[in-house]
Amino acid sequence: MEYYFIPVAKFTEWLASLLSEFLVYIPVTEKNKQHFRLLTSEYLSALKKSPSSLSSPIKGEEPDLGDPIRDALTKIRPAESLKGFFFLPREVVSKGFIGEPSNVNYLNPSIGGSKQRIIIGAKNCDLMPLLVHKKMFLEGKFVDPFYQDRLLNTTIISADCPIPETTCFCSLLGINPYPSDGQASDINLTVLTDGYLLEPFTEKGKALIERRADSGERIAIRPARDEEIKEREEQRDKARRTLEAINPKPLTTDLAQAVEQMKDDAFWQEHAKTCIECFGCLVVCPTCFCYLLYDQAENPAFTRTKIWDACYYPAYARVGGGMNPRAEFLARFKNRFHCKFMNFFRDYNFYACSGCGRCLSVCSGKIDIRKILSAL
Amino acid sequence: MNNPYQPIPAQILDIIDETPTIKTFILKPKPTISFEAGQFVELTVPGIGEAPFTPSSSPFANETIEMTIMKVGRVTTGLFNLKPGDWVGLRGPYGQPYPLEKFENKEVFIVGGGVGLAPLRSLFLALVSLKKYKKIYIRYGARTPQDIVYKNLLAKWKTWKGIDVLLTVDVGDKTWKGKVGVVTVILDKIPVDFANSVAVVCGPPIMMKFVTQRLLQAGFADKDIYLSMEKNMSCGLGQCGHCRVGPYFTCKDGPVLTWEQIKDIEDPFL
Repeated sequence: MEYYFIPVAKFTEWLASLLSEFLVYIPVTEKNKQHFRLLTSEYLSALKKSPSSLSSPIKGEEPDLGDPIRDALTKIRPAESLKGFFFLPREVVSKGFIGEPSNVNYLNPSIGGSKQRIIIGAKNCDLMPLLVHKKMFLEGKFVDPFYQDRLLNTTIISADCPIPETTCFCSLLGINPYPSDGQASDINLTVLTDGYLLEPFTEKGKALIERRADSGERIAIRPARDEEIKEREEQRDKARRTLEAINPKPLTTDLAQAVEQMKDDAFWQEHAKTCIECFGCLVVCPTCFCYLLYDQAENPAFTRTKIWDACYYPAYARVGGGMNPRAEFLARFKNRFHCKFMNFFRDYNFYACSGCGRCLSVCSGKIDIRKILSAL
Repeated sequence: MNNPYQPIPAQILDIIDETPTIKTFILKPKPTISFEAGQFVELTVPGIGEAPFTPSSSPFANETIEMTIMKVGRVTTGLFNLKPGDWVGLRGPYGQPYPLEKFENKEVFIVGGGVGLAPLRSLFLALVSLKKYKKIYIRYGARTPQDIVYKNLLAKWKTWKGIDVLLTVDVGDKTWKGKVGVVTVILDKIPVDFANSVAVVCGPPIMMKFVTQRLLQAGFADKDIYLSMEKNMSCGLGQCGHCRVGPYFTCKDGPVLTWEQIKDIEDPFL
């Protein structure tokens, strides 16, 4: 295993060096929340002018507001997941003709040719959902070429999640607050007291580490020292302990079976009773993969648009004749649990939930999915 | 790169009025599409939308593809406004075909309701071409004599060797001399060797439910009852999620599933 290190003072220099070749997205703390933003050289210059405090944002667990990037990297996942970077909320996927038989041709919306992207700071709870989407969109009989193209043209630099918050529950689903392999991350980054530890996982990640300046030297990066690797391990232990304190009671070992066997509607009714049916929980969910295709006339052509959909919408499963297998909300409420914790798990041996906690964060009815799962 | 959301063009060559609400569309796709009996395609009515249909023509006739379609919603209403010469789009085929190898040398008991006879016609034509069946029974129910699809074909098939056809209508009229009642009235006697037979059912959900009960009661094994599931198959690719029934994606694992596969699902026909 190879580890590299970027000193705090050189981090902006390294980020700046990436901008010449890549579109770089990085989380930034704004109004106490993290958001992925497109990094610009103007932003980096402004950041340099108000130099960040070098004190650790982790050890004292006080956010370092002097540097919104460093601050965001140490915080939990951004408000928006990685999903939208690859599986767009709205995208034209097909174009066609209307009527004219003399010039019958379907137009392919362009695929490919996009600028290479780097996304920095994705937490493990956002990486695992990418594996869900890979199963659905890339590893079945049919490949979504739009999704595939974006994934191929993106380098993901994940980040440890050193300070889990009360909404976090990745550990309940067997997920660590940091990635251990390159299944969905090319390089992992850990924010340390004096800098940033990098662990490349993939060839794409290693190539990024090996980028050189004109002088032939690596830009801002040097091999890591043992004490730096040790600091990461201590930090990780602490994060795991924090998660254990937040979620002390493990879930039942066979969640799929527990979901399947819960046939008592009163149970589901009780947990759904404060739901106002805004469906925000599914819109923010990083694993939800459902989509809707709809066509629009645009004479002389039509366009087919793919948009995010969610199984909580009343007409979601309705068929042409009007039959609706899940006309009642309670059936749709249950379906979410059947999908994420039973059907997907039985197909692929992992849950379609990463414990990111977004669903409970956005819920107006204060529905906490952990309470439901632990009551099963 | 292959774009699975992109249909290919198909020209409407002819439209046959089957009943006041059902028409058969004869399409010529460019290039041709080969499918196996039981698989379905997504049909695009340009500018209006897309919906899944199982072809009703023989899978061995490759130049054209026929679909018998009832006007029920937005896409089918748009389709019914089109004329011969107009163009539509097709994607597919999708889903699993009928396992014809498992039907070899068996009695095939086909039960259709309303427009549900359409996909069964494709199966019937495939079986007749392959000539590997022992006997084929067709049991078909429609609402009224006017609502019977393939009237002339059914009369013709009836005369073929090894084909046994019985019809019923829910409500008769002055001209109707046959059975009256829902399709189960022609299922009181099922003259097959259950150990060596399969049943294939397609029709409205409520009909499927009662026919399945009757077939089980008569003696068909769970694994020998093949049911066409009517679900919202939007993408056809096993991705978009809408057609989920229990652990299955109807578009990927179906659209035909056996009773053995779905019997533990709560209200599978709903």
